Amino acid sequence: MLEQLLIFTRGGLILWTCKEIGNALKGSPIDTLIRSCLLEERSGAASFNYDAPGAAYTLKWTFHNELGLVFVAVYQRILHLLYVDDLLSMVKREFAKIYDPKRTVYHEFDETFKQLKMEAEARAEELKKSKPVGKPVSNGKRQGHGQKGGYDGGNKDRSEGGLANDGGDGDGEGEGHKMGNGYANGNHIGAKDSKMTAVVKGKENTSSNNGAFDVNKLQKLRSKGGKKTDTVDNKVPKVDTKKKITKKNRVWDDKPPPTKLDFTQTVDGKGNGNDNVHDVEEVHGESMMDIEEVVSSESESEEDEEVGKESKLDAKKKGWFSSMFQSIAGKANLEKADLEPALKALKDRLMTKNVAEEIAEKLCESVSASLEGKKLASFTRVSSTVQAAMEEALVRILTPRRSIDILRDVHAAKEQNKPYVVVFVGVNGVGKSTNLAKVAYWLLQHKVSVMMAACDTFRSGAVEQLRTHARRLQIPIFEKGYEKDPAIVAKEAIQEAVRNGSDVVLVDTAGRMQDNEPLMRALSKLVNLNNPDLVLFVGEALVGNDAVDQLSKFNQKLADLSTSPSPRLIDGILLTKFDTIDDKVGAALSMVYVSGAPVMFVGCGQSYTDLKKLNVKSIVKTLLA
Amino acid sequence: MEGMEQWKVQVENWSSQLRELLHQFLQHVHQIPPAQLYAAIAVLSLTTLFLLSIRLFRRKKSNTIVLTGQGGSGKTVLFYQLRDGSSHLGTVTSMEPNEGTFILHSEASKKGKIRPVHVIDVPGHSRLMPKLDEVLPLAAGLVFVVDALDFLRNCRAASEYLYDILTNASVVKKKIPVLILCNKTDKVSAHTKEFIRKQLEKELDKLRASRSAISAADIANDFTLGIPGEAFAFTQCQNRVTVAEASGLTGEIAQVEEFIREHVKP
Repeated sequence: MLEQLLIFTRGGLILWTCKEIGNALKGSPIDTLIRSCLLEERSGAASFNYDAPGAAYTLKWTFHNELGLVFVAVYQRILHLLYVDDLLSMVKREFAKIYDPKRTVYHEFDETFKQLKMEAEARAEELKKSKPVGKPVSNGKRQGHGQKGGYDGGNKDRSEGGLANDGGDGDGEGEGHKMGNGYANGNHIGAKDSKMTAVVKGKENTSSNNGAFDVNKLQKLRSKGGKKTDTVDNKVPKVDTKKKITKKNRVWDDKPPPTKLDFTQTVDGKGNGNDNVHDVEEVHGESMMDIEEVVSSESESEEDEEVGKESKLDAKKKGWFSSMFQSIAGKANLEKADLEPALKALKDRLMTKNVAEEIAEKLCESVSASLEGKKLASFTRVSSTVQAAMEEALVRILTPRRSIDILRDVHAAKEQNKPYVVVFVGVNGVGKSTNLAKVAYWLLQHKVSVMMAACDTFRSGAVEQLRTHARRLQIPIFEKGYEKDPAIVAKEAIQEAVRNGSDVVLVDTAGRMQDNEPLMRALSKLVNLNNPDLVLFVGEALVGNDAVDQLSKFNQKLADLSTSPSPRLIDGILLTKFDTIDDKVGAALSMVYVSGAPVMFVGCGQSYTDLKKLNVKSIVKTLLA
Repeated sequence: MEGMEQWKVQVENWSSQLRELLHQFLQHVHQIPPAQLYAAIAVLSLTTLFLLSIRLFRRKKSNTIVLTGQGGSGKTVLFYQLRDGSSHLGTVTSMEPNEGTFILHSEASKKGKIRPVHVIDVPGHSRLMPKLDEVLPLAAGLVFVVDALDFLRNCRAASEYLYDILTNASVVKKKIPVLILCNKTDKVSAHTKEFIRKQLEKELDKLRASRSAISAADIANDFTLGIPGEAFAFTQCQNRVTVAEASGLTGEIAQVEEFIREHVKP
């Protein structure tokens, strides 16, 4: 049964609710829907799942943009109500007729609604009889595991696991699980493994090669590269000859050279000065986090040529006069067809800026949903209206949802006599250690005592690398060598920090691919055992579509593998290699959109000072330029 | 080339016509007695001055009251209480600002001409923070709504929000008065306004320390809060900051109305 049907304005006033079915909802599904879906530019999705203790609802909604109304239907998730979409659109049509902005009470709509509901139910019943299978209203409904709210993209695949093949997705993951447990220890390549190769190997031979450097396997890994579509169904392991060398698979040599390597000498030459921070500062100067960035405020009226052309073409079809008239008088109502060309151009433009396709698509849908039915103002073109709406949406997405004032949090932790723990996570070679050192440097400048914890007990040389940074910055480092459980090392490091009174502990972890089950499990353990104050995902600004996969899988794994009921997810993003991408800043948008976490730092160079804050305005400008 | 020639001839034609017209006009002017002419000019300039002064006058005395605060603190309910004297069927999280120019509901029965108030209810969701910057320059008064019932949990976020407002350039420059309104006081477990004031002051004091450390990188906050070296108190602000209580749901909003009428004269 339908649990609730609400009609409210975009301003938030409830105009009408269904009284007879108005049993109290558990939790606050409507507010959650608005906060975590509609305001996050996800209104293009088809439905929203809400979980509260004792209740699981699915919510569906539709907008009437001209009048600024929102219609939301709530029903129990186990019931696949077929008539909800139908009912919503009918309610929308009927309610629009009687809506008057000055009125706030609509008692007479009760009757109309009763009728509409009966009609809709009857129609659904008929449909069921004619098609016994019944076309589900939202096909491909996969619920987010353990997440509080999941999004159903209608026909589109969900982001988690959605990139994989449709049918094979589920069992592929399951088998990957089993296999991952099989060779959890010792095997370096095995640990770099992904679910595909895990399955393939499982069918080939399970027992062999432990710890050996298997060339075959490496090649398979490479061939896997970006193609994730052919997953489980190729039973015979094809040893591909084409070597698609993707960055991700090569662990050992894509760590950026951490600044200058001969750092030790300068410091050693100086002897052991007491005022360490100042020494270091003298050498490197102020961190760029603290230097104000002068944003060149160019004229923002730079219209995009492509979009212009597109709409001009459109205009030509309709004739010069009518389009002129329309532009003066203001077009009656925007329809989907009017928006399509402008949106398509916009989507293409976003994709040239390295925004993941999935994200660009969803954003455009959401913008389209917010514009459809609106009146076009006089003297404006469709393209400029769409652009303005997109700009607003982008600013909204990139504006941090919570405060990103780390120093404030550090001071708060200090008052409680607790060290503030930051864990750096990420895939291989994105610059975790380098940027950890940059963050340490920035914190040092603000008179915060920092300690490093070398919890990358996996990659050779990682501890030494961090030790070099520590010596260079003259800060203590906690290390326990290799082959230790990183979670335990981190725990001991935090205890050590409590003893020696450090304010901040920066925990470096091993880089791991998002599909690597054993390593993800280890990470989950580290996070859950130590409950850090900040889980910082380090991501390259260079990635395109993979950004979505990385972040969503990291979040998913942290949620799935955690034993506590409220798992820790990624709290913030550190975007590295930002100086190498020119105007292709799309990764920032993709990452923020997928995780909902803000970009806290931007790494933009090789020296300790090259750490900045994200400038939302300039990013938006670059994205739309 | 031919086109150009034709064009030139046409332009010359026009210019000669214009010159003739000007000549006629001057002659006409000469015929008018100078006294009349001066009078006309004086009247014209006076009217423009008058119109300009009206605009300036209007701008100075804005009648805009901005309702702001965290999500879920009850701004939209307050808005409808002020407008209609009822919260209707209830509210959900706002996605867009509510805006209206009206005479307060409690004053609707009063006789005589009352100046209507322009009230803007800005959504509290932090993604919609940029909207606040748009409306702040217009404000004659600012109501910062705090949830007194669930205060401790939201204390830090609320004070961060308040910090951003109190250091906002237009708030500081125009000395926009701020009313910190503790909402939902009809509930028994609600905190008192004194407690909330003290907590907010304490939090703002801490924020001041951490923000000033970061200020070189933060472009948004140009102004520092209070007097350095002293514990922060709202009395140190250049603009007036007062604390009041209200209950949006039951309609006890007399103190808000008082604040509004203090800054938007009837």
